[in-house]
Amino acid sequence: MKRFQSRRAYVAWPVCGLALAASAAFAQQIPPAPQPAGSGTAPLTMPIPPAGKLVAITNATILTASHGTIEKGTILIRDGKIAEIGTNVPVPAGAVVIDGTGKFVTPGIIDAHSHSSLEGINEGTESVTAMVDIGDAFREDGLTLYRQLAGGVTAANVLHGSANTIGGKNLTVKLKWGLPVDSMRFEKAPPGIKFALGENVRQTNNPAPGRTPRYPRTRMGVEELLRERFTTARDYQAEWAAYNKARSALKKGDAEPIPPRKDLELDALVEVLEGKRLVHAHSYRSDEMLMLLKVARDFGFRVATLQHGLEGYKIADEIAAAGTGVSTFADEWAYKLEAWDAIPFNASLMAERGVKVTVNSDSDERARRLYQDAAKMMHYGNTSEEEALRMITLNAAWQLGIDKYTGSIDVGKDADIAIFTAHPFSPAARVDMTLIDGRLFFDRKTAPTLAALMQLMRRTRAAMGNGGVN
Amino acid sequence: MRRLLLRVASAWAGVIPLAAMAALAAAGGIAALAALAATSPLAAQMTPGAPKPAPAYVIRNATIVPVTAARINNGNVVMQGGRITAVGPNAAVPAGATVIDGTGLFVYPGLINSGTYIGLDEIGSVPGGNDRTELGEFNPHDVALSAVNPHSELIPVARYNGLTSAITAPTGGLISGQASLVDLSGWTGDEMAVKRSAGLVVNYPRAGGRGGRGGGGGRGGAQSAEDVNETLRHLREYFANAKAYSDVKAKLATGAPGKQKTDLAMEAMVPVMRGESPVIFEAGTVAQIRGALAFADSFKLKPIIRGGHEAWQLADTLAARKVPVIVGPIYAAPDPEAPYDEIYANPGVLAKAGVTIAFQTGGASSIRDLPFEVALTVGFGLDPDDAIKAITINPAQIWGVADRLGSIETGKVANLFVTTGDPLDPRSHVRYLFIRGEQVPLVDRHTKLYEEFRARPKPPKR
Repeated sequence: MKRFQSRRAYVAWPVCGLALAASAAFAQQIPPAPQPAGSGTAPLTMPIPPAGKLVAITNATILTASHGTIEKGTILIRDGKIAEIGTNVPVPAGAVVIDGTGKFVTPGIIDAHSHSSLEGINEGTESVTAMVDIGDAFREDGLTLYRQLAGGVTAANVLHGSANTIGGKNLTVKLKWGLPVDSMRFEKAPPGIKFALGENVRQTNNPAPGRTPRYPRTRMGVEELLRERFTTARDYQAEWAAYNKARSALKKGDAEPIPPRKDLELDALVEVLEGKRLVHAHSYRSDEMLMLLKVARDFGFRVATLQHGLEGYKIADEIAAAGTGVSTFADEWAYKLEAWDAIPFNASLMAERGVKVTVNSDSDERARRLYQDAAKMMHYGNTSEEEALRMITLNAAWQLGIDKYTGSIDVGKDADIAIFTAHPFSPAARVDMTLIDGRLFFDRKTAPTLAALMQLMRRTRAAMGNGGVN
Repeated sequence: MRRLLLRVASAWAGVIPLAAMAALAAAGGIAALAALAATSPLAAQMTPGAPKPAPAYVIRNATIVPVTAARINNGNVVMQGGRITAVGPNAAVPAGATVIDGTGLFVYPGLINSGTYIGLDEIGSVPGGNDRTELGEFNPHDVALSAVNPHSELIPVARYNGLTSAITAPTGGLISGQASLVDLSGWTGDEMAVKRSAGLVVNYPRAGGRGGRGGGGGRGGAQSAEDVNETLRHLREYFANAKAYSDVKAKLATGAPGKQKTDLAMEAMVPVMRGESPVIFEAGTVAQIRGALAFADSFKLKPIIRGGHEAWQLADTLAARKVPVIVGPIYAAPDPEAPYDEIYANPGVLAKAGVTIAFQTGGASSIRDLPFEVALTVGFGLDPDDAIKAITINPAQIWGVADRLGSIETGKVANLFVTTGDPLDPRSHVRYLFIRGEQVPLVDRHTKLYEEFRARPKPPKR
């Protein structure tokens, strides 16, 4: 509990004396994790098991997201990885046991579109800012990250905003709230970059008085700008290739060739051209999505995801053929003109046509209840239960290029896991525990809940001779 | 509503008038179907300009959840002339009634959303469609219904999840105007109206903290303590004037000599000052709620608290004073200093303490989310039965229409829907929906676009 005291934003009440932690059997068994060096925070006393500890989740309903549901199953976690899964997994002596009786276990939720815990989302001065990195604006201590853990989220694609045709570089994180940012980075995730099309880039909805109009103002201009920058990037790439070739052919006594001038923006775009940096493109209308897919085809790269892609259902076959994923809202619509044809059946229809779809949050609020947004895909368009679950887990991992490591409950993957009190799609659902790499980052029993606060207030008032909360 | 019937014949598959069923079984085939079309009540409705018929329907052999009574297994609900005329396992089926087979299905009273601006806004970023926020701080004579667009594309979308009625209310200013309770169907605003004036929206000022919560879209932003006092002074002054106006009007009515110049804003305040019409205080924090209650006391108003995310701290007070709370939107982030689950857990605490709660989603395009917003609070402690009450009978009581809406009882208006399961569960599907005893096909902008593009042929290979 003590760690809450140290969090800047978390000031009001979570106080000493909340003896709730004692009720958690898990808490009693796990020695406190070592204090992360240089984090500048109070010692961690939350029961995060140290790496290497064996953890077993027993007798639970396991929704694997990859190979169906296992009733009364056990998951054995060793060194932060899923070591064994099944109905006949023996629990080794000394393992920490989480009794999963009556509980539902899912892969940790992956939010494929987040702007959480950022100091500044848009470098909106120019329409192409491929040189900036959203990782530079990310705060490791954002309270929202803890609240998202409480909604079962274990990883997120933290993106630059949508103000620019080509925005900044992304940051894929695991939500190890309480640890320093370097241990939150998903090191094995391929780098990405944000693109954006449509109304936001054109700056049509929030006219700021006195602001100088910025090019482009039309969808025509957006395409032109993309082609212009990638043409320039291709020339830059060729310059470097020629330089490198000349250097490697250098003979003794030859003059050292002068390298091309380094350009941080074009470096990022060359990585896109070379398939080393994933493009996550904010887009709404079908025509602008087709435009981008065509530009990408002409320049020989793949668009990893269309973000939002609200009219993706109109061109599902074209998107599927491009090998592009779509990360969309469950049911947002009508908030602007380009969201007028948005339908909640979007994800289901695209999935039906072979597109890998995710349901994302794009919001600190929605990120806390993505499990319900996924359930809505069964409501709108009859997506199957497992496919709906994939839309917030395995498909997101695929879109971010981390599906080898996380996104489903499979042997060998990271033990990123959410444990629910009931089926995650049912009204009774609530997250009980969230584990990342087999370590506990959220536990409702020790969490500062409203019920815990009420208990504390009652106790305080009783001690002061006033029994009622009022 | 008939317009919708004309549009969507396909939605009627499976709905067959009882009288024609035998003939259909005997004759079989297309000829019988043609005969059926000619004799069904639907056929009469399909003649443009024909007088409105009084259709009769029965949902047979369904699980009925009346809300105000125990659930009935294998029961019938009979509707005739817009009302529920019989409910129960042995309810008689009137001749000529259209029969819906409810086997395996559930019947619930229509859901009521207690805070939206449906019909007052269409596309958020397009100013031409925004009629919800008037200029100025005091607009008690502005009535939502006068600007509700009955043909808004958002209305059929709202029905898709079982909503049949909603409060639609103006936003902004200190006194935003009057909220209206409408049924989510009708050719005109007046046809939609259940209650033209359901309450006066007052945005109670908020001190400190973080502003800009969702919901009423009112003043929202927090003010300094000084500004709050200044705002309150204006609000008190306005109500004091209204009280004086109302008192003079009452005296004149008893024959006292004198004259009163008619002031339309003050006229709108009269039912409020007499305690006949409630005041909907947009108030989220403890300080706002306490302030609103004291304000209501000082003018003898009939308060309803809306928003109330910190109302759990005053649960016993609110219960003892019988002040209802419209909670929500639940799709909202807690204040920075609040427990992570405050918004989800608050309704359960209130209901357990005996507070009459209802739910609002706020907004217009989001109003269909009502059952799912409520669902989130069930996981955090709201009893599932209390949850259903909070979107059916409770709002009917709060808005003073419990004699007409909110439950499945003989004599009530036939606003109800038939679903495959728990309406709060996103895995359920609404199959049929009735408003004022007429079936409204579950077809909207979204289902139409879905069907249209689902049928799109594969594009040619390039």
